[in-house]
Amino acid sequence: MFILVSLGYFRFMIGFERHRLANGLRVIVHRDAATPMVTTNILYDAGARDEDPEATGFAHLFEHLMFEGTSNVPLFDVPVMMAGGENNAFTNNDLTNYYITLPAGNLETALWLEADRMRGLDLAEERVNNQKSVVTEEFRQRYLNQPYGDIQLLLRPLAYRVHPYRWSAIGMDISHIEKADAVSARRFYDRFYTPSNAIISVAGNVDPDEVFMLSEKWFGDIICEKVSKRNLPAEPEQDSRREMTVERQVPAPHLIMAFHMGARESRDFYILDLLTDILAGCDSARFPSILVRKKELFTDADIYLTGEADPGLVIFSGRLRNGTDIRKAEAAVMDQLQEVSAEHVTPAELEKARNRYESHRLMSYMSASNKAFGLAYHELSGDAGAINRENELYMSVTMEEITSASAKTFRPENCSVIYYLPSKR
Amino acid sequence: MKIKQQKAVPSIITPSAGDTSFPGPVRLGSGVPVYLLGKGTVDLLRVEFVFQAGQAFEEQHLAASTTSAMLTEGTLRLDAVTLNDLIDSTGAALTHSADKETAGLVTVTLARKLDEVMALTQEVLFAPSFPENEFRMLTDKRLQAFQTSRQKTSVRAREAFYEALCGASNPYGRITREEDYQTLSTGDLRNFHKKNYVTGNMYVTVAGRNPEQALPVLEKHFAFTGKEAGKKRMPPSVTFDTAGPGRIFLEVPDSVQSTVRVGWKGITRDHPDYLALQVATMILGGYFGSRLMRRIREEKGYTYGIQAVSGAFSSIGYITIMTDVANAYREETLGEIWNEIVKLQHEEVSDEEMTLVRNHIMGEVARAFDGPFAVADTLRGVVDYNAGYDYFTRYAETVKTIEPRRLKEVFNTYFSARDAYEIIAGSR
Repeated sequence: MFILVSLGYFRFMIGFERHRLANGLRVIVHRDAATPMVTTNILYDAGARDEDPEATGFAHLFEHLMFEGTSNVPLFDVPVMMAGGENNAFTNNDLTNYYITLPAGNLETALWLEADRMRGLDLAEERVNNQKSVVTEEFRQRYLNQPYGDIQLLLRPLAYRVHPYRWSAIGMDISHIEKADAVSARRFYDRFYTPSNAIISVAGNVDPDEVFMLSEKWFGDIICEKVSKRNLPAEPEQDSRREMTVERQVPAPHLIMAFHMGARESRDFYILDLLTDILAGCDSARFPSILVRKKELFTDADIYLTGEADPGLVIFSGRLRNGTDIRKAEAAVMDQLQEVSAEHVTPAELEKARNRYESHRLMSYMSASNKAFGLAYHELSGDAGAINRENELYMSVTMEEITSASAKTFRPENCSVIYYLPSKR
Repeated sequence: MKIKQQKAVPSIITPSAGDTSFPGPVRLGSGVPVYLLGKGTVDLLRVEFVFQAGQAFEEQHLAASTTSAMLTEGTLRLDAVTLNDLIDSTGAALTHSADKETAGLVTVTLARKLDEVMALTQEVLFAPSFPENEFRMLTDKRLQAFQTSRQKTSVRAREAFYEALCGASNPYGRITREEDYQTLSTGDLRNFHKKNYVTGNMYVTVAGRNPEQALPVLEKHFAFTGKEAGKKRMPPSVTFDTAGPGRIFLEVPDSVQSTVRVGWKGITRDHPDYLALQVATMILGGYFGSRLMRRIREEKGYTYGIQAVSGAFSSIGYITIMTDVANAYREETLGEIWNEIVKLQHEEVSDEEMTLVRNHIMGEVARAFDGPFAVADTLRGVVDYNAGYDYFTRYAETVKTIEPRRLKEVFNTYFSARDAYEIIAGSR
């Protein structure tokens, strides 16, 4: 049965070619002749984990500044739109990623624009101040003006004491963003936005040799400035349960439970990713069936991985039915987690999770832009080719591994809990 | 240090919309139209079933969305747990949705599981059981989500706009209240389902590699004929009890931002100005280079984002601008919105800006046709509102040829201060 599944997968490989410029820039190209478009994806190895604890949210603020123009291009978006393209970016705790998707004939415009802003960004005080204001509104809109919007802001400092994952990419506090200035922006730019700290990945209807030639043309003379390797403090093993209660203007209580786990590259990730699918990936998974339908404790019960490069978290997140006691709800979740730590999941559950993984993988790699990001992401951790080995890693996960990873992870002393309750007034 | 660029800027190939045509439907033996959208690269198929079964057809408020959500909560043959276990085991994803006029079910499946998934989909669509217990749980969950939405300034402002535009008593403008969740019964759902979920009221799109492979499978599972098949429903004619324009303020206690909306009554797709209005709205607030984004986000820093859209249901159109801003900026934001509109009413858009917006729209249209799944989404917008299969061809032509003088007329006709609704939701 599983062999058939694997055969289905092996027909779908993402082919690519790779080239490294003398200044250290890595270039990856995947040819996809089915689309008239091309995506250029540029990933910088700089995220919120690289920030000064006194100036968090900076990597994300800097992402905004990357759209503010250079002496050659006063507004980054104008030539992108002129070329019929769309572009955007995101910052997380590990990295910052930018992409442009445009008609394949305008590939060189995208490479020129990315090289131009890697080479000479305009970091005038006025531009910095304006984007500080935009980001402050983003902070309010997405995290403060949404019911339950601040959960991540509360959870990270509870689960992490030492590692910079203790703050969110948006920042610990609005006041940190308000402190940023042009001098600190320049320092961040010079340190992280260099060719050797970037990976450019191109996917679409393009010829790899042409992409390499154009990359040499536009990026080749950007001088390499060595980036010192990051040296982050490891999070010490958690040795006792942590608990926090907050009250907010919300209609129903919400329970969060976070457990430390391994890094994205570790075996732990693949095992627990399949397990969380078995627990809550679909309507017939254990949590929706037992905690929501059968026991009627929650209206929603989810569990997922942060999937971050350094050791991450597996997070349970559930909205309680009105009237459920939150400690009783927590005990029921713990029972479920202890059950998978003591007894194997069933072969049918494992097969379902594998089928679902296969569909998801195909679905996500239908778009050239997802393939471009996927290749860049894997190259960051050493080898873009790992994108074609992930399926095998998932398919090789055994029931025994799931049980032992669960037992290792879902221990009360490895858990941080938030009781997010409706305020009483 | 980094050195200055000396090479010539690459020249741009003017983007074109590309092929904006749709294939006409083939028909199953029962007459159900099926659109086959090919050119996929992976072995996945996306099969969508669309019914005229949105809120416009409701006799009881919430019936459309609840019927749609209850489809996968059990069938006459299978209880909810067994049904979902069978669906999930195939690796397929079923997603339901109900809008103002239509309701749809999208299935995405590995091609080799198609037969199995379509057999289940047939039961889900045509033999749901609407069990009491699942209904109660779903209602509790939806009620909780509803209560949460009361705290959201963006939701409150949106509701107030459509109520003012369409009237409080018809399905387009009516605001949901907590009591609506208590009034609704499984009997209402059965009744709604019986009338609207019939093959005569349905069309199908199949998108992916070799979509033709789905035809015999669909024929096998959806070959109803005769009385069972029913008829295509048309949205009932409604009277729009439009409120007079003006300012509405909604108190949302303790919110740290306010949602600001400015809106107008628009026009329907059959109106000769419809496509010109689309272009005008794009220039005002439809893309990152729009007047409002540049002024209110990029120059003023009042907001993370601001958008303008124009659109239409089958018998009423709307135009609306929306943004979330700090409470302290809301009056300034309104002032800046009006400044930008007045400028567009008095000064013609420059050739440079026309080129920018034209190229942007062409790229956007090209992306809407990039790959079979995207084409399926795009086609649905066209079919559901009878926009005509040539809608995007006409749109691309309008974008290419429209003159600044004409756009100025459009801004004067449809964006007047006299006819505008201004809505603010936030704390006082």
